[in-house]
Amino acid sequence: MYRYDEFDHKIVTDRVNQFRGQVNRRISGALSEDAFKPLRLMNGVYLQLHAYMLRVAIPYGTVSSKQMRMLAHIARKYDRGYGHFTTRQNIQYNWPALDRIPDLLEELASVEMHAIQTSGNCIRNVTADQYAGAIADEIEDPRIISEIIRQWSTFHPEFSYLPRKFKIAVTGHENDRAAIKLHDIGIVIVKNDKGETGYEVHVGGGQGRSPFIAKKLTDFVPAKKLLAYLEAVMRVYNMLGRRDNSYKARIKILVHETGETEMRRLVEEEFAKIDASQMLSLPEAELDRISAYFAPPNYENLPAQSDAFEAAKEGNPEFSHWVKTNLVPHKTPGYGIVNISLKPIGGIPGDATDAQMDVIADLAERYALDEIRVTHEQNLVLPHVKLDEAKEVYDILCAHDLATPNIGLISDSIACPGLDYCNLANARSIPLAQEISTHFADLDKQYDIGELKIKISGCINACGHHHVGHIGILGVDKKGTEFYQISLGGSADEKASLGDITGQAFTEDKVVDAVDTIVETYLNLRQPEERFLDTYRRVGMDPFKEQLYAD
Amino acid sequence: MPTKTHLIANGAVVDDTWVFIDDETPLGDTPAIISLDRLKAEADTLRSRNAKLGVVIRTNTQGKTKLGEDVRELSPYLDMLTTIAIDFPVYRNGRGYSDARILREELGFKGELRAIGEVLFDQWSFMARCGFNTFEIDSSIPVKAFNEALNELSEAYQPAVDNQRGVLWRRHGL
Repeated sequence: MYRYDEFDHKIVTDRVNQFRGQVNRRISGALSEDAFKPLRLMNGVYLQLHAYMLRVAIPYGTVSSKQMRMLAHIARKYDRGYGHFTTRQNIQYNWPALDRIPDLLEELASVEMHAIQTSGNCIRNVTADQYAGAIADEIEDPRIISEIIRQWSTFHPEFSYLPRKFKIAVTGHENDRAAIKLHDIGIVIVKNDKGETGYEVHVGGGQGRSPFIAKKLTDFVPAKKLLAYLEAVMRVYNMLGRRDNSYKARIKILVHETGETEMRRLVEEEFAKIDASQMLSLPEAELDRISAYFAPPNYENLPAQSDAFEAAKEGNPEFSHWVKTNLVPHKTPGYGIVNISLKPIGGIPGDATDAQMDVIADLAERYALDEIRVTHEQNLVLPHVKLDEAKEVYDILCAHDLATPNIGLISDSIACPGLDYCNLANARSIPLAQEISTHFADLDKQYDIGELKIKISGCINACGHHHVGHIGILGVDKKGTEFYQISLGGSADEKASLGDITGQAFTEDKVVDAVDTIVETYLNLRQPEERFLDTYRRVGMDPFKEQLYAD
Repeated sequence: MPTKTHLIANGAVVDDTWVFIDDETPLGDTPAIISLDRLKAEADTLRSRNAKLGVVIRTNTQGKTKLGEDVRELSPYLDMLTTIAIDFPVYRNGRGYSDARILREELGFKGELRAIGEVLFDQWSFMARCGFNTFEIDSSIPVKAFNEALNELSEAYQPAVDNQRGVLWRRHGL
């Protein structure tokens, strides 16, 4: 894991002190709420429906046990005993008091964490594949370049007041778990035909009111030139991005209105100038320094097969189920990647209590080489667990309601905070996620249905990623009543696609039935080994529509 | 927008000898800041004028998408200009930061680069890093507060127009 040096510490500490000054000026009235807004936003402080909300960055989704314990401590001391993990690998606290946030940030800084640029019209927390460094066939650990991007983008003097927010995601694996094509910039680590490692850059993806899949602007930028390339994209955007209408201000609209070819030309032109100045050429020594922090941990030399693990599966069908859904093969023999579901049946997707966070921190320390990851699907991961010890880990998770065996299944849905917290929402998301999860509580049924990703947003801003849900649900408001529009066939992976709307929206009391109808239709139509998404892509919308709107 | 401003240069309040002149008013022989349109239209006669000349770049003014004026259009006239003022119509509109870097780094402008409009406390240090060297700010703000604001963040990861090389480089003595 990356560790701060004196420079990193100084930057984060200066920021805490600066924000303390800003909060004091706000509280004394020297700063109006309007002038305070961009400052608090750049420090992750939102004004929600009921209170201020603080979003803490978890860069590329990696935390240590010490950091996780701090997140638990903050939930206890400054909030109501829980935190909410988000689709951008951050954690949100819904109830901190504004005058205590500077102290909270100071405590965070003591474990090398911050809330810098987790909101506002600036470059946000960089996200990455949650299996980084643990999964086989990775070209390079995406956290290396993510950390470099984190540093370059922190307090960037030119790009702190962009037309709109800006999100970057990185994957180093051909299976995209970071939804890079739905980001303002998505980076895929690749090898060229000379065997050199470099970066493929996709620009202009995003969801919200106008969803777009990102366009690939370049096939290959070497590490040394990547910051120059990113700065070129940012400058073109800052100069030409629209500021007349916030719904048209994201880079996806610029790419769409400018056209992919012209956008590429503009970026190349800017890149040529920045590259020629050599100003942003990344020093080899810095790349090496940061890479060293992500060197593989000291794995033990273990046989690929663990007798204890096999015996435990044999003797315990529940454990065996959990292994099937929640444990992913590790690149190192004798290890596994453990997914911790934050989607208990009927629970709030992504929420964890302070006690649960402490348990997970202890597990990471004892069993997972001190690392924890946050996934964009709002779950947690212990990336390096010995198969010999998987059953012990499972038993402890079970004792704390953290062993729901549903990763990738219908009850593992993403939901935005919705009308329960958010002042933008039209409809509630969390209660709907809970109802769907309860409706499909039967695990045998869930296993029969197989991989099915439901994603729920309470409004068109699409924080719940409904456009890329296999089944997407969008809350719409019609004359004060909550309605839900359903879409099918979306996907956020390497074959990213946007869902198609089924038709007329459903009232709140009919939406779970509608999901049930969609699932039954799939079960009737599927061919052997076909996932929901495969069936939908084969048969299209019509059969689903027929069933949904039969009467 | 502050109603009354003072001009800060080199960490002190200075007398502002410049006057903004609109397109209809004839130019006298005192330092004058004019619009980009007027500069382009009257460049030939302005060249033989015997007083300092400045131009203001307006953002958020033109066309359907209201992007504003393009600083690169100044390139043929830079030798005539002592001052370039860049307008921030609202603090949220950060296009002027790129304008400033383009003027300094790409076009090599060495003269006065002045931030005008909504130029607030928490933007000053970013503006300075992007190449602004004078600031029209609310005259009720003491210069001490301005100078402190510039130093709130003592390190920067990335290079910009100021002399900081960026932590990513300085770690290696570069």
